[in-house]
Amino acid sequence: MSAVRAAAARYAGTRVPRVEDARLLTGHGTFVDDVVRPGMVHACFVRSPLARARITGIDATAALELDGVHAVFLADDLNPGVHEQWYTLIGRDVPDTPRPPLARDEVRFVGDPVAMVVADDRYLAEDAAELVEVDYEPLPPVVDYVTARESDDLVHEGYPRNVAGELAARPAEELAPIFDAAAHVVEATIYQQAYAQVPMETRGLVAEWSAATGELTLWAATQSPHEVRLFCSRLLGVDEHRVRVVMRDTGGGFGQKVAPQREDMCVMLAAPKVPGPLKWIEDRRENLLAAGKSRHEHADARIAFDSEGKILAASIDYVQDVGAYPTPWPVGTAAAVGMFFPGPYRVPDATFTSTCVFSNTSGRTAYRGPWQFESVTREVLLDAAARRMGVDPAELRRRNLIRREDLPYTNPNGMPYDDISPMETFEQALKILDYGAFRREQERARAEGRYLGVGTCTYVEPTTAAMALHATEGATIRIEPSGKVNVYVSGGSSGNSIETTVVQLTADALGVDIADVSTVQGDTAVTPFGGGAAGSRSGSMTAGAVAETASVLRERITAIAAHRLEAAAEDIELAGGRASVRGVPSAGVTLAEIANLAYFEPASLPPGVPAGLEASGRYSPEHPIIWANATHVSTCEVDPRAGRVTLLRHIVSEDCGPMINPSVVEGQIAGGTVQGIGGVLYEHLAYDADGNPVTTTLMDYLLPTAAEVPGIEYGHVETPGPGPGGYKGAGEGGAIGAPPAVINAVADALAPFGVEITRLPLTPEAIVALVREARREVAP
Amino acid sequence: MKAAAFGYHAPEGAAEAVSLLAGLGEDAKPIAGGQSLVPMLALRLAMPEHLVDLRRADDLRGVERRNGDLWIGAMTSQAAIEGSAAVARDVPLLARATPLIGHFQIRNRGTLGGSLSHGDAAAEYPAVALALGARFEVLSPRGRRTVAAADFFTGVYETDLAEDEILTGAAFPVRRDRSGFAVEEFARRRGDFAIAGAAVAVELDPGGRVARCGIGLFGLGSTPLRAAADTFDALGARPWAERAHRELRASGETRRSVAFGIDQLTPQELQVARLVAQGLSNREIGERLFLSPRTIGSHLYRIYPKAGVGSRTELATVIVGSDPD
Repeated sequence: MSAVRAAAARYAGTRVPRVEDARLLTGHGTFVDDVVRPGMVHACFVRSPLARARITGIDATAALELDGVHAVFLADDLNPGVHEQWYTLIGRDVPDTPRPPLARDEVRFVGDPVAMVVADDRYLAEDAAELVEVDYEPLPPVVDYVTARESDDLVHEGYPRNVAGELAARPAEELAPIFDAAAHVVEATIYQQAYAQVPMETRGLVAEWSAATGELTLWAATQSPHEVRLFCSRLLGVDEHRVRVVMRDTGGGFGQKVAPQREDMCVMLAAPKVPGPLKWIEDRRENLLAAGKSRHEHADARIAFDSEGKILAASIDYVQDVGAYPTPWPVGTAAAVGMFFPGPYRVPDATFTSTCVFSNTSGRTAYRGPWQFESVTREVLLDAAARRMGVDPAELRRRNLIRREDLPYTNPNGMPYDDISPMETFEQALKILDYGAFRREQERARAEGRYLGVGTCTYVEPTTAAMALHATEGATIRIEPSGKVNVYVSGGSSGNSIETTVVQLTADALGVDIADVSTVQGDTAVTPFGGGAAGSRSGSMTAGAVAETASVLRERITAIAAHRLEAAAEDIELAGGRASVRGVPSAGVTLAEIANLAYFEPASLPPGVPAGLEASGRYSPEHPIIWANATHVSTCEVDPRAGRVTLLRHIVSEDCGPMINPSVVEGQIAGGTVQGIGGVLYEHLAYDADGNPVTTTLMDYLLPTAAEVPGIEYGHVETPGPGPGGYKGAGEGGAIGAPPAVINAVADALAPFGVEITRLPLTPEAIVALVREARREVAP
Repeated sequence: MKAAAFGYHAPEGAAEAVSLLAGLGEDAKPIAGGQSLVPMLALRLAMPEHLVDLRRADDLRGVERRNGDLWIGAMTSQAAIEGSAAVARDVPLLARATPLIGHFQIRNRGTLGGSLSHGDAAAEYPAVALALGARFEVLSPRGRRTVAAADFFTGVYETDLAEDEILTGAAFPVRRDRSGFAVEEFARRRGDFAIAGAAVAVELDPGGRVARCGIGLFGLGSTPLRAAADTFDALGARPWAERAHRELRASGETRRSVAFGIDQLTPQELQVARLVAQGLSNREIGERLFLSPRTIGSHLYRIYPKAGVGSRTELATVIVGSDPD
């Protein structure tokens, strides 16, 4: 190892064009619906039209009589086939919430799958689904999670008060003296509406059972092919090596595709019972109805300050809606909202409670930055505090942000921050804006009756959490006899450019041209085991796996070249697909020549060097978490009469360590930021009072488009993390940092009216109502 | 989201189209650009037995001067209108309103006639036609007739078109000297149907006074033109206000309510809606009312927009909420 010098980074840190682009931008990606197998049949689900009802009878006779219909599966046909049902990510031993494949006696939300129809094509399957007669006896639904704990009705028997789980830190009374004595205490109940991941590609699965071999092949839209395989093998009681999961392109996951859900279970369970490969492609209506929701939560939060505006303590009582069938178990992640609530500030004391509550609505699923609400609550409260104290909100943050000299810093909930730079990203972002100039412009605009606002959010985020399914990551590198390089990693890219990342890193590690490196991902039959794309881990974990594996090959290549060139190994350098003697560029040997020796003339290799140029390695990080941080700054103009918010600028200064590819990092930031903007201003997965979803098309569920979003401006601070290359995660942060910045910008714009924002989303109606309400309060 | 099966017809001209529609009866539906109908088909909110696709009817396409007006064929795409030099010169308000319709992909397929026939209260073209006093050409096997824009839009998603009639084109008055136009709308996102919008055409006489002022408001719930007249009253612009009131009367506009709600439903539609609210399927409702499930589907197609809902469950809510018992 010592003989192997680190390669000069030629590609890492540069804006290498994405290797995925050629196929994706020309419409030649392979998504799950592009998979066509001979004899394939198609599934469609019969779903509950009621939020809560007892199933008193199901008659599938008419459906089965339709030509081309193969089967109508009910709960009794599929549910008993479940052997074990748990997620590797969460573990077997948590007190997991119920998750039956099909609803059996009771439906628990509108969209709850009751039966699965299998027919020759999807049109027929939908015709047949309309013919399945389900008799329901309506029951009173528990629609509003906020009041669900007081309801006499239960979403699930065995969960009193509709509570799915609770966790808490130290008793709040211990902090009471601090709050009682504090010069200032701000508190508020802040509520965030439900919104969803809305991947461009909906969920989907093709399952092909081979009776002859007892093997199941799955083509999946997933963020983690290996988790799908593990889950499926346990579900069916089939050995892991008899399940193969294949994915090439997944059109967005954002958390929705980290783990198989109930419909996936049905397809897996039904695959051996149908006459051909079984395809299920979720349509958009189903996706908005049943693929899960996120956010939807509220908190009673308090922050105490001394007379100088320094934070003394912070506490949060957090409650989230987990719907009827959350996936995966939500209770642990919910507690993260409490643990991260102190954020990137020096907070001497803190505590929290977190509560997960069932409701008769679509189940909670993971979403980019699942604990985002810690930042929403904290940053909104900080702005409210600044207004209350008459301090500029930027100044209030400067008094409290963690500085470099404070590190390492353990927050009062035990989170051990290090290698972060919140003060630096904060100052950089304000500088990009020219904060002082904006405040002057705002002053002038107000004099003209125009309302401009600026808001910020600074957060610190755990990335690359190396636990359970995500504890390690592997890579196999095979240098072909031609000298071309193939890198095999688990993959699971849902748009995060991990192919480009791997190719860049491998080219650097082996000193070869990037055009000579190719990567194979997403097929569990040929790739090393890995956790997939989740938790902002792909870049840093895969960098570790590639480094681990490439170092073995570098050592071997160097040894062969040194032997061949009659030079010392430490004088060999690798570049441009060639090993040469340092200082004697003419003395060299190409990688192809070395590969030829390694594969075809093993006798000529130096003693102790194994034949072939293929190696596998596995990276297991020493640090359980790599911390990243960023500051978002948003500016807007608000028309208080129409309630229109026009976003003016959105600036993100991020510290994800050295960037492997700035274009990829900025793409990740932009994607998350736009989702965050959508969550504040447009997106709302809404239910009426009876539990009927009212946003089941993209005409009702409003996603922001390029026309609604300002050009995003980027600043980068690079504080290396503890892992290989110093890389940190960057996948989720945009979705965490953007919402508070936008909320605070709107609140700042409306500050002259005395408006405080505590409920989302900020629709035109909501803004008009806030302004009217504030005026009414002022008037008398 | 796959449409139920339907028969497909693509006649070569307007005459063939209307005779097909007459022959197929109420189970047939004409389709123009499909930007509203295709999603309804996919969601099975509309389940016509037959679709009569007008895309091959070349006589329904074109932009040309006819009798001093600018005639635009019903099947002319919004994109063609957007790019037409003649429209930009002769009917500037139409040219300015067009980019506000959806997105360019939608305008590539969406048509003038489709938009006018659909009669969406929040759409741009109906308001523009009202503001300009356009005249619509309508064809059926019974012959051709002309309808003033002001008489065409009769209710929520309802027009003066009979079952066997199609819109073949619209004649827009060519702009004269000393006229001005504006269109503004407020929508949640660019390309969405407007929460509120206004299209205004003003023409001055040689003395600089308002000779004609046409105002079309869209996306607003009630008394559109009346509200505009009130605005002029409030501004103290008396000649404008008088003109607006006159226009209002001339166009036949009264305090027409475009409120959504179940009071808009016919007795039979209400009967269907009540059964939907009880959780019955189209087939079950059909059995009770001795109608085919398809007919129930087409009733629902008319019921949803009238009731201001987008799904069975929403409809059920509205119905349940409205029943006193």
